[in-house]
Amino acid sequence: MFDKEAFTLFKFSKKLNQSFQNRRELLDCALPALRDLFKLDRVYFFNWQQERALLSLNMMCKKEYCMDMQEDISVLSEPDFLKTLLRDGIADSTDLNYPAVYVLLRWKKPNMILEGDEVRHVMKNSVGVLRLERFRKNRLFTEAEKKMIKRVAEEISHNLTNTEVDQAKNQRLNISTALNDLATIFASSLRLTDGLELILKGVQKYFRFDRVRLYQTNYDGTKIKSILGIDISGQVARQTGEDLPEDERSLLKEIFNSGATYRTINNVVYIPLKVQRNKVGFLTFDNLLSRRRIDYLDFVSLKQFSSQIALAIDNASLFERVQELSNYDELTKLPVRRFFSEKFAEEIYRSKRFDLILSIIVLDIDLFKQINDTYGHQIGDWALKEVSRVIRTSLRQTDFPCRYGGDEMVIMLPRTNDEEAKIIAKRLKERINDIAIPSRYTDGERITLSISQGIASFPQDGANATELFEKADKALYWVKDGRRGTFAVYREVAEEVEP
Amino acid sequence: MILWVMPDSGAKTKANYQKLVERFQKEYPKAQVQVQVLTRNVLWKKIFMMRNPAAGETIPDLLQIPHYWTALMTRAGVAENLSKLDPGLSLSSTLYPLRPHCYKPGTKDLYSYPWWFDMSALHYRADHLKFVTKNPQEELSTWQGLLDVCERLAGHFKDVEGYYPMQNGDWRGSLSTRSTFMEVWGRGADLFTPDLTDTLIHTAPFKQGVKDYIELALKEYMPILRERGSLGTMLTGKASMLLSRKQGISSFEGRGGARVKTLPVPRTGDQPQAYLSGMNLVINAAGKDKETALEFIKWSARADNQVLYATMMDVFPAFEDSFEQFIFSSSQRLQTYSGILASARTLPNITITGTVIEILNKIFAVSATQIVEGRFTQASLDIELDRAAKEVQYLLSLYEG
Repeated sequence: MFDKEAFTLFKFSKKLNQSFQNRRELLDCALPALRDLFKLDRVYFFNWQQERALLSLNMMCKKEYCMDMQEDISVLSEPDFLKTLLRDGIADSTDLNYPAVYVLLRWKKPNMILEGDEVRHVMKNSVGVLRLERFRKNRLFTEAEKKMIKRVAEEISHNLTNTEVDQAKNQRLNISTALNDLATIFASSLRLTDGLELILKGVQKYFRFDRVRLYQTNYDGTKIKSILGIDISGQVARQTGEDLPEDERSLLKEIFNSGATYRTINNVVYIPLKVQRNKVGFLTFDNLLSRRRIDYLDFVSLKQFSSQIALAIDNASLFERVQELSNYDELTKLPVRRFFSEKFAEEIYRSKRFDLILSIIVLDIDLFKQINDTYGHQIGDWALKEVSRVIRTSLRQTDFPCRYGGDEMVIMLPRTNDEEAKIIAKRLKERINDIAIPSRYTDGERITLSISQGIASFPQDGANATELFEKADKALYWVKDGRRGTFAVYREVAEEVEP
Repeated sequence: MILWVMPDSGAKTKANYQKLVERFQKEYPKAQVQVQVLTRNVLWKKIFMMRNPAAGETIPDLLQIPHYWTALMTRAGVAENLSKLDPGLSLSSTLYPLRPHCYKPGTKDLYSYPWWFDMSALHYRADHLKFVTKNPQEELSTWQGLLDVCERLAGHFKDVEGYYPMQNGDWRGSLSTRSTFMEVWGRGADLFTPDLTDTLIHTAPFKQGVKDYIELALKEYMPILRERGSLGTMLTGKASMLLSRKQGISSFEGRGGARVKTLPVPRTGDQPQAYLSGMNLVINAAGKDKETALEFIKWSARADNQVLYATMMDVFPAFEDSFEQFIFSSSQRLQTYSGILASARTLPNITITGTVIEILNKIFAVSATQIVEGRFTQASLDIELDRAAKEVQYLLSLYEG
């Protein structure tokens, strides 16, 4: 026997038998089909906000078209209606003065939860409601129609689950593609800051946050070193930790103590960056301006990705530290000869190209061997440290000193002529003359340090680094020959030092 | 060209836009125009995503925005610089109050162009009010007078099933942030301090203004969170008054018998206050058909189109000539609205204005539910406003101007 009901349902299912990108697309197809099937004047789709017992209108479909609409209806004042709807899945409107029925849609939505660092996939129940309206009072919904409406609603619910699953799969695929792209960009960046900037821009682009910020901290997480931020227009801004307001600095403790923090109320997410026990910094994403809720899936994905960022930052910091160690002498904290030679060559090149002047001072500690032999290497090292401290603190920012070897040191003075170099040499001489070897090593006798210095200037004394160094060295030897504790400019003593 | 608009005419919106687009296409036969209707909520979310659309996601070429979103859209880099696109574009014939909201703050560059505006007013049925007051104009001049009239109307129509003295003008049927402005202004408060560097939403006058409005719902003079279709309207006789930014004059005039009159919103302070809300058009900086979008903007500003649209949507033209033509065409309109326009105020065009409205919308949505559940307290609302003020202050520190 022909089953009309089953045939009708089959026809309806056939209309929905296609792949929908999202719920909106599905409803765009289902609501007109429902309207036509039951000869409705209007059909509405509401979200069910369970915590507020509120039906929140999402979409309306009338004869000619469907469109987004908004209306909130509280069902709290209608306990009988609510009871019937939840029990039977369908209920007549108690308020409207024309025939209208509400029918419940129940579907499942994939979700993920984070337990420790483990991601668990779960299906979450979702509820919506359809309202079917006929404007003519005599066109009531029959019991047979209501039965059929319920079956059609089940079909829509089934399709909603499928669509949500497809949508979640696509969303995850998009996110993993995005993160993969970002990781590739990051890996191919030569400089850490460039890489981080690209990452943050990429995160903002793919996840569409209002702002994305990276706070880099020291290892114990007590101090913010720097902040790299991308604002709502995509502009990059860099700040130092000192520029931060106090309340933002106090966030640190809270963030590191709480682990990854997902805050939907404030539309802000904080993700601490740690490598084993070391704190590297934290990432924050916010939608403060738009008030959009940050999706939990986005949060979980970024939380997982953040370990890669943390590792990269940590590696880069270690690299910077190693570089620092190889460029600086551990005892005197002055740059080493190799590092100095690179800078010296660059500065000579710049001076030639832009027609600039430059001077160097070559110096050593007077009677250093004697100090070592008389008071021991400990005092010898102390003397080196003290002289270096004076050099470091007496120079201008642009000057560049180095420990050339043993007790010999060189100072490069860019854009400085020999007269100006003499002023600096005089300052060093005076300050070093004030350094006395601790009296407990000298039987109470006051023994002070002194240095001898030779000065040469570019371009007068030499056209390249080697020549310039040779000339300054010759001036130094002239000083050491009976004039210890003083300084000389090569040109002024050239006749005496050159054979 | 894809045009995003809001459902200003309710269920008739699409049909109204269809008429408008057909008229535009008669003059620009090559223009392809697709109108997409989005609720304000959806549009708000979408403007933040327009700069980085996902693969296959539709973005508009032109969109309708409330005037105070201009600064935000400019800051977000999604609004096209109209002065650059057409240096001849000017606001010289635009109504004065609408002008400051079209520029990028601090510059003379146009980033949005006026389309139309509406103003808040109180509409009432004279045939209803005559039962409870001899002088509605006098009584309805103050907020207390409005509450007194509501009480008498509720008593008079107590046997009419589903009757409320006030029809809810909010399109969601909830408490409306925008409906509180007049009461708040009347009490001497505002969203921001005059120099726009701080907020006033935690101050006593602001809270009092909000309380004035909420009293309509608390005393059940106005329905909230009810099926809209189940409620009577002024025209069906199940309500007698309506606070609305829509004029409603054309629809009221269309129904014989219901004598609807319009007054300024009853004042809570010394002076009446009206809320003027401009609707502007913005070209998407990433749009593909900016040329048609610009043509549509210029076409919409033409007097005949302004008048047509204003009549169709029950709103006001944004340009001086068309405004005068429109307002002089109805003596009632002229009489009522010239006074209201004189007391009209707008929201400031700064980056965070839209966000502040979103924050307040959420607070009022919760309050509406609490009222329905019978667990609303003024103290809890005050606490929420205090919290919101802190957030607004933080936002102001992040987004100046």
